[in-house]
Amino acid sequence: MAEQKGRRQFLLKSALAVAGFPILGRYLTACSPSRPKPIAGKLQGPSFKAGHLLRKGISVIPEEIEAVDVVIVGGGVSGLSANRWLHQNSSAKVVLLELEDQPGGNAVAGRNKYTAYPWGAHYLTLPNNDLPELLQFLEEEAVITGYNEQKLPVYNEYYLCFDPEERLFINGYWQQGLVPNWGVPEAELKETARFFKLIEEYRQAKGADGKFAFAIPLAASSADETYRQLDKLSMKEWLHQEKFSSPHLLWYLNYCCLDDYGSRLEDTSAWAGIHYFASRRAKAANTDSDRVLTWPEGNFWLVNRLRQAAENNIRTNALTYRVHLAQDKVLVDYLDVTTNKHRRLVAKQCILATSHFVNERLLQGMQEQRNPVKQSHFSYSTWLVANLTLKEVPSGRGTPLCWDNVIYGSCSLGYVYANQQQVQLYPAKKTITFYYPLTGEHEAQVRAEAYRKEKEAWQEMVLTELEKAHPAIRKEVETLDVWVWGHGMIRPTVGFIWGEEKRKAEAPVQDKVFFAHTDLSGISVFEEAFYQGLKAAKQIINTSHEA
Amino acid sequence: MRINVQVLLLFSVFVVATCGLIYELVAGTLASYLLGDSVTQFSTIIGVYLFSMGIGSYLSKFFNRNLIAWFIQIEVLVALIGGFSSTLLFLLFDRVESFRLVLYMLVSLTGILVGLEIPLIMRILEGRFEFKDLVSKVFTFDYIGALLASIIFPLLLMPQLGILRTSFFFGLLNAAVALVLCFYFKSELRWPAYMKATCAGVIAALTFGFVASERILAFTESLTYPDKVVYATSSPYQRIVLTRNSHDFRLFLNGNLQFSSADEYRYHEALVHPGLNAIPNPKKVLVLGGGDGLAVREVLRYPEVEQVTLVDLDPEMTHIFSSHASLVKLNAESLLSPKVNVINADAFQWLRNNQEKFDFVVIDFPDPANYSIGKLYSNIFYRLLHASLTSQGMAVIQATSPFVAPKSYWCIINTLQAEGFAALPYHAHVPSFGDWGFVLVSPQATMALNDDYPEDLRFLNGDVFRQMQIFPKDMPPRQTEINKLNNQALVHYFEEEWAQYLN
Repeated sequence: MAEQKGRRQFLLKSALAVAGFPILGRYLTACSPSRPKPIAGKLQGPSFKAGHLLRKGISVIPEEIEAVDVVIVGGGVSGLSANRWLHQNSSAKVVLLELEDQPGGNAVAGRNKYTAYPWGAHYLTLPNNDLPELLQFLEEEAVITGYNEQKLPVYNEYYLCFDPEERLFINGYWQQGLVPNWGVPEAELKETARFFKLIEEYRQAKGADGKFAFAIPLAASSADETYRQLDKLSMKEWLHQEKFSSPHLLWYLNYCCLDDYGSRLEDTSAWAGIHYFASRRAKAANTDSDRVLTWPEGNFWLVNRLRQAAENNIRTNALTYRVHLAQDKVLVDYLDVTTNKHRRLVAKQCILATSHFVNERLLQGMQEQRNPVKQSHFSYSTWLVANLTLKEVPSGRGTPLCWDNVIYGSCSLGYVYANQQQVQLYPAKKTITFYYPLTGEHEAQVRAEAYRKEKEAWQEMVLTELEKAHPAIRKEVETLDVWVWGHGMIRPTVGFIWGEEKRKAEAPVQDKVFFAHTDLSGISVFEEAFYQGLKAAKQIINTSHEA
Repeated sequence: MRINVQVLLLFSVFVVATCGLIYELVAGTLASYLLGDSVTQFSTIIGVYLFSMGIGSYLSKFFNRNLIAWFIQIEVLVALIGGFSSTLLFLLFDRVESFRLVLYMLVSLTGILVGLEIPLIMRILEGRFEFKDLVSKVFTFDYIGALLASIIFPLLLMPQLGILRTSFFFGLLNAAVALVLCFYFKSELRWPAYMKATCAGVIAALTFGFVASERILAFTESLTYPDKVVYATSSPYQRIVLTRNSHDFRLFLNGNLQFSSADEYRYHEALVHPGLNAIPNPKKVLVLGGGDGLAVREVLRYPEVEQVTLVDLDPEMTHIFSSHASLVKLNAESLLSPKVNVINADAFQWLRNNQEKFDFVVIDFPDPANYSIGKLYSNIFYRLLHASLTSQGMAVIQATSPFVAPKSYWCIINTLQAEGFAALPYHAHVPSFGDWGFVLVSPQATMALNDDYPEDLRFLNGDVFRQMQIFPKDMPPRQTEINKLNNQALVHYFEEEWAQYLN
């Protein structure tokens, strides 16, 4: 008996021992990478301090006064475009006031030892051919190098996105292109094809007024109610109405809305959602129409070209805190943040190329001259952008590293490879820019939470998202910087683009104060900003002639 | 109980015998892979192994007490050494000077340990069987084990597990036997806990090896090469491997053959001479890629050439080709010539910044197998090339095989023509590559060739070159897209065509 017991114990023990090895093994491998060490990096964002100063309110009446013709407040793409246009087409003395230490708005960029990289807007989709001023600008800057016999623009191939352009990580594999197809059921692929067929119809569709239903700038779109009524329902409702239910298609369309607008299907107007696809009709001599122009530093490249066109007009570190009318002049008060001096510009006219929520503060002294605009109608997306310097981007199955790399099922937008446009074969380090629009039911709450979050928490979030496609990415990271955009960009919520409030907000005040910002388009893309600037600049030129 | 002990110990004999033979087979197979000449390798490995077993048997007489404990410890050692032997050999192969020494040391060590085991086990069983039964049983199991090993090794283990995992797997079997014996004889052992822990440790290590063996294999590309690897190194850009057999040596970059010393003269004569020979009084020559100095060797046959600029990305390449004795001999010390200026830089960036004009440019890049290299065949790159040539200058481009990858070949030519070059396509038979394509280009509309080639060439003359310009009926020119940075058409063609060819 005793022997029997001994044997049973032996068997039991050996069973436990054998069972123990895999567990031990797992324990060992799980523990082998010791606690993550802190990752180098900075947390950045648009000047919080100056912004707070503005919110608190400054009431100083400056003693230093300077007379000019036109003041432009805000050095984003709209303000810079207006500045360039006025410089090229009028002799007005213009001053552009920019809060940050460099202009650029949400198209600013950073730089490490190896490459420049974007902190925000980072590409320009091949522009439509009916945008003469934009094409002219691109030609001046050698983005367009000429025209062929069919009058199609020839694009500079250093700036056209290098191949391979896009890949999507889906079912453990990097497929080519972003529209899900790898391992997607046949029925869903058919539905996707039906969606794009419908979009193609919208792309060619014209309203009763003969204008395209979906145009760029969107102000040039047809006023036909058949199309405009799409602004009254959400993209989600419209898709439901059109019987699109494929989860893969819906994920892709949600991704698209997040990518361009920072808003989800349920928050996005169907008109805007369709516009994303149906407004693009570019034709080029040397490339397909659905390609993009991009630079390592993203649209900061374009910003610098716009800036250089009339650089002397620009004053940086200039916090504008009040704009008001006195007799027939516009008084623009600002704080020179570097010298801490308050100054006043007395101008004939002014362009506010600032976000609408900023305008509301600047114009507090002009309540009687303006119709009240409900600020709650303006919705802004909050963004987290991260730049990672990597020893190597881990490879995976399928398509190799592309310019745009998206992870199916992720709430992030994936990452863009900043070295893509370098001709160098093997960059020493690789920099990727990770984009994450933060969404939620309550916009203000999302924003407040984002402002509270610590750098380490952001870094952890970024890595967790990237690990979905690159399990081994952590050990490649050398630096991980993050940037929080509280008011990243305007969102085309249901009813906003063709609604009353936006129309009121863009109405000039007594031919003195004009407005130029993508807030007044409802979608934040380079072309809209460019045309906002041009529109205001042209208004100034027209009205000053009359005066 | 007595029966069980006997069965267990005889089973151990069986396992020990099987494992022992497997380690021998693994070593033999590995040696044939890595060193070539399988007859020699297998003969010497088997000889050394059997002899070492003899040494082990001899040494067994010095073990007098605690036989079970010794047996278990030896078993654990066999498990550890045998299990890791193949991995160790792989990892050390291109990193140590005398690989054979390591190989035979490992084989002897395993042999000695295995040789110790059979005598020890016979003595453990001594009192439990009659002598004639003992001898008959032990050797029966020993030889059955050997038979089993020799059958399953080629049929089951190599195809299913691969060589690394096979070793780990049998190491695990050895260690498992040791562990079971630990439990069984715990009353007869002095430190049973210590011995169990050792077994467990070895099992854990072997399990880890078994699981990670694929990653280990990724480190050791030695299996890829048919011949003996005589030099291997990694630069930040590529893996450089030089192999040698009885009649030639070969250079591989990232596993792709760059040249064989037996026929590279055909390739390099065809690359350099038709163009350079046609240029009256060439002074300045640029070679892009070609860090092996073989194209430069051909260029230096023209005494009127005053200056050769070689731009190659990889300092490691130009270093070994200016220092390794047999390579320096092969390129006739070309990289050491005072006329030659070696620049280690990215060719695209270098050409983009270049202000100088050249009479002749040789472009000898790797095939456009990935998007990085594809850039070096783009229209923009050729635009830079155009700007770097004198008006009477010419350039030649290696352009992959027009037979295997016709679209790729003609895509390169069409891209060059789209950039305003006149192009002269031609091809040569290079036995180690196959039918290989080149293209000679000039900014002028017409190219005047020169039939009078240097006399010491081994392959090329005027008649041969005329023949090289003829494309047979199955290799006609193709319509293709132009290769641009934003479509990388060439990389797509190349992938498609070579994938088809290799499948």
